[in-house]
Amino acid sequence: MAYSEYWNPKNETLPRQELQALQLLKLGRMCEWAYANSPFHRRKFEEAGFQPEQLKAPDDIRRIPFMTREEWMQSIMETPMFGDVVATAETNAIRYHLTSGTSGRTPIRVLDGMKDWEWIAEMWCYGLWGFGIRPEDISYFAFGYGSFIGFWGAHYGVEKIGSLVIPGGAQTSEGRVKQIIEMGVTTVFSTPTYALTLWQKAREMGIDLARESKVNKVICSGEPAGSIPAVKRQLEEAWGAKCGDTAGMTELGTIMIFECSHQPGGTHIIEDHFIEEVLSPNGDEPVGYGELGERVVTSFGRGFIPAIRYRTKDMVMKVPASTCSCGRTWDLYDGGIRGRWDDMKLIRGTNVYPRAVEAIVREYPAIDEFQIYIWRKDDLTDEIDIKLEIKPGFDAEWPGLQHKLAKDLASAHEGLRFNIVRVEHGYLPRFELKAKRLVDARPVAQYL
Amino acid sequence: MTTTNTDLLGKPLAEQEQDLVNVYEALKKLAAQSDLPPCAARNVRKALACMWQATNDLDLQFEQLYDLGV
Repeated sequence: MAYSEYWNPKNETLPRQELQALQLLKLGRMCEWAYANSPFHRRKFEEAGFQPEQLKAPDDIRRIPFMTREEWMQSIMETPMFGDVVATAETNAIRYHLTSGTSGRTPIRVLDGMKDWEWIAEMWCYGLWGFGIRPEDISYFAFGYGSFIGFWGAHYGVEKIGSLVIPGGAQTSEGRVKQIIEMGVTTVFSTPTYALTLWQKAREMGIDLARESKVNKVICSGEPAGSIPAVKRQLEEAWGAKCGDTAGMTELGTIMIFECSHQPGGTHIIEDHFIEEVLSPNGDEPVGYGELGERVVTSFGRGFIPAIRYRTKDMVMKVPASTCSCGRTWDLYDGGIRGRWDDMKLIRGTNVYPRAVEAIVREYPAIDEFQIYIWRKDDLTDEIDIKLEIKPGFDAEWPGLQHKLAKDLASAHEGLRFNIVRVEHGYLPRFELKAKRLVDARPVAQYL
Repeated sequence: MTTTNTDLLGKPLAEQEQDLVNVYEALKKLAAQSDLPPCAARNVRKALACMWQATNDLDLQFEQLYDLGV
């Protein structure tokens, strides 16, 4: 059957001048909605002297104050459970998800209404259709289906496309490999790291996925590696399949960028549903095409919790739509999300902020010094160790502490496994001024 | 039913687009009724959430539906 190459041919090829007019109209309406219904946004707009009717031209977006993760978290702590950023009655929600916070145990909690949740799947449809997923595909989700939003939206997006969905759920890697083979799966959804783990597991089982599976597409999300050429090449060779990158965030509920089937070395921005500004890091000056800057996103989707000029700290480089041969008029991020402007680390798809880890570790008086050590096991899996020294005289607490600290850290990080490792007293470095308790020993990503 | 015959950018609606808008508006009207049986009330909302995507993607409307529980 012949299909359109685009999920939404009208807007994916809309001339840029019209695209900007559409964005301006949606921006105005979203600001009006937020001003009228979200105390958080109303307060911020008033403090900045901004009124939605001031939006007359695309550049007027710069009149709108930024929204930061720290402000959002503060709002959640002051007005539990969801903060005064929420713009409608909580009883209108049909979905709850969370992502780990920047400090301590408080997570960012999000709610979605019925049309928001449907929109989340819709954004995945743009990306998945663009990479070539069609109703005839059989899609496998190597995903645990927890409260972390992860591939939930993709699951419903694939259902909407009409492809058969196989939820991997909680089972062993061996069980997943077997299912991928026996069900004739054509598309696998995974973090890049876990896709390599599955390949390694298959090898141990004597299975060559590139020859013995029907997989022809691997959809990556949750880690930047999906756009790093060396990792992409490794994945494509291992699976004998095309590897497509996507990126999203719990704060938005879904993906905002995707790699199309032309694989231009970057990810298209879904520009009829988002405005993506690239600004000087921590500043407010726009940077041009081909320059590294910080992503600042405005979403036209989830009205429950409006995200307007949200500073993401993601490091990106925007390039014009003409960089890709697919015919879309949507600009791209060359190399996808390239990294972070802050100290957040992505471990197996989960956000980890060193200061949040420290806040939990410091709840244990028996711990003298500690270090967060991130490394890559067998060139495949990212691991996070908490190396710690027990104070003299507190030895008896170690066994219980090891178990409880691992549990506390996992519970504040969507179930992520932390390895708690005791080292000799005096082994770790001491600091007089600015402490550096984070060591990231993973290989550095190469984009060129 | 809607009174508009243009999209958000002011372009005239094609016949197919007008049909989509009509379905969307009909679902909104149904969702506003308080005496539908649960099987109809909830499925109308589910259908409206989907039609919001089609009409929003095609620039036919951009509005919030929380007052209808959607």
